[in-house]
Amino acid sequence: MDYVPHSQIPGHKVKQTGAVSLKGIKKQFNFKDRELKVLSEFSLDVQPGEFVSIVGPSGCGKSTLLRLIAGLDDTYDGTITLDGQRVAGTSLERGLVFQDHRLFPWMTLEDNIALALTNRQISKDAKAKLVADHIALVGLKGFEKAFPHQLSGGMAQRAAIARSLVNEPKVLLLDEPFGALDALTRVHLQGELQRIWLAQGSTMIMITHDVEEALYLGDRVVVMQANPGRITHTVDVNLPHPRDRASPVLHRLKDEILAELTNVPEAPNSVVRLIKGDDQ
Amino acid sequence: MTLKTLNLNAFKPVWLLGLIPPVLFLLWWDHEAAKGGANALAFVSLAQVGQALIDMFSSGELALSYGSSLGRALSGLLIGGGIGTLVGIAMGLSKPVEWAASPIYNSFRQVPILGWLPLIGLWFGSGDLSKLIIVALSAFYPTVLYTFEGLKQVEARLLDVGRVYRLNGWQTFWRIQWPAALPSIFTGLFQALAFTWISTIGVELLFSSGAGLGAMMQQAQLQARLDIVLVCILFVGLTGFAINFLIKRLSQHVLSWRSVRA
Ligand SMILES: Nc1ncnc2c1ncn2[C@@H]1O[C@H](COP(=O)(O)OP(=O)(O)O)[C@@H](O)[C@H]1O
Ligand SMILES: [Mg+2]
Repeated sequence: MDYVPHSQIPGHKVKQTGAVSLKGIKKQFNFKDRELKVLSEFSLDVQPGEFVSIVGPSGCGKSTLLRLIAGLDDTYDGTITLDGQRVAGTSLERGLVFQDHRLFPWMTLEDNIALALTNRQISKDAKAKLVADHIALVGLKGFEKAFPHQLSGGMAQRAAIARSLVNEPKVLLLDEPFGALDALTRVHLQGELQRIWLAQGSTMIMITHDVEEALYLGDRVVVMQANPGRITHTVDVNLPHPRDRASPVLHRLKDEILAELTNVPEAPNSVVRLIKGDDQ
Repeated sequence: MTLKTLNLNAFKPVWLLGLIPPVLFLLWWDHEAAKGGANALAFVSLAQVGQALIDMFSSGELALSYGSSLGRALSGLLIGGGIGTLVGIAMGLSKPVEWAASPIYNSFRQVPILGWLPLIGLWFGSGDLSKLIIVALSAFYPTVLYTFEGLKQVEARLLDVGRVYRLNGWQTFWRIQWPAALPSIFTGLFQALAFTWISTIGVELLFSSGAGLGAMMQQAQLQARLDIVLVCILFVGLTGFAINFLIKRLSQHVLSWRSVRA
């Protein structure tokens, strides 16, 4: 556990739990007459408290990968462990934020977040406090009784983040959490997520199609390619948090990643898509 | 000042327009009735209908018939709708139940409700039990269908959220599947209400023994009492209207979380 990427931040809680290890993951979908290889020999070690960004063209298996770690899909080869324990089924230790907020439209914001605590063996008061604290954490105080249709896209996504954090998971998985938001809201929420991560100190694995976002937030950026989905690059971002968007280092790394992506000869289409996705 | 003007503008009683056709119709009707002669057989004057209403009201006849029809419709709705919802839930949640129940449900549904009358009449006679069975059946079909469809259409993406937070079967049903299916279940309830009221009157007309608005109409027809028939029709129509209104308000209230923006 010598990897302490943001130890420079005073007061930051570095957790000693939340190590995610993926070894030789192979995943395919079987259809009647053919099989689709989605992930092949995917291996990755994530340190406790680390923030890892994963970028890659659409269809390269990013969402599939997160579903495997979350435990929503158990049919794969290889091993996934959290703190040395093999992952089986879903668990409150592994939080998941979907690209769409997936709040239940028939529940108030408060009830949506409280739903995550349904099976926690703690008192009613403790639950209420956790819910209130996390609503405050994502800056939604005053909207406790609002229904999802009364929230903007950015607010709904904040609520979804609060819901996924209320169980204080060891690792938080984020699947393109800001992909559906407008550019300004996105930049704003990236800053918020960084603040939350610094405050909570849990491990985070975030998927994005935005190289800049990946670099701004990640201690490490993992670059994937499609058919089958695999890691082609890993970039360490040795900058303290919170970061300055204008940092020349980030710009250099961005150019580097994009240049490397455009040089991958066997999948030119996906690279074009990735670059397009970056500035859309 | 401006507020007042705004309020006046906002108050546009469009529903008053809905009163124009029936008023015109009644004027025409009374005109025909006043002609007398051969017309007198087909039309009775409004005054006569009004007198019949007063007579039936004061003799308690109307209350008895109306109460018994309403009671039949409501108990049929409760029994048929209740069982229908349970069957729909079982079919929606369990594949084996769906496979076992679908063929028989779908073939029985093809028989018009009143098509069961001869069979039910032979088995159970033409008393209250037979009537109740028919009415309950008419509530049963739509409730099964819409409860089942509603549960089938719950999206996997919502169920995944339940899995992430480790909800058990009962929690998943109560917190996710049931509320997600509720709009469809209400559509079924709407239909069930309309069908129970129609089949209540229909079955009373056909099994015309005992109390009820339908039976009263049947007897009035035999005695050529057109005024009584008309009073009955009036009550049947108004009740159907009221039922629809109530269920609409109820569903708006329960489904208030839905919005145009959602
Ligand atoms: N449940 C599924 N059944 C069959 N194919 C699937 C399923 N889920 C994903 N796929 C396929 O797997 C590939 C990777 O999908 P996904 O993980 O969603 O990619 P990404 O998130 O990187 O865009 C795609 O080709 C997709 O069509
Ligand atoms: Mg995806």
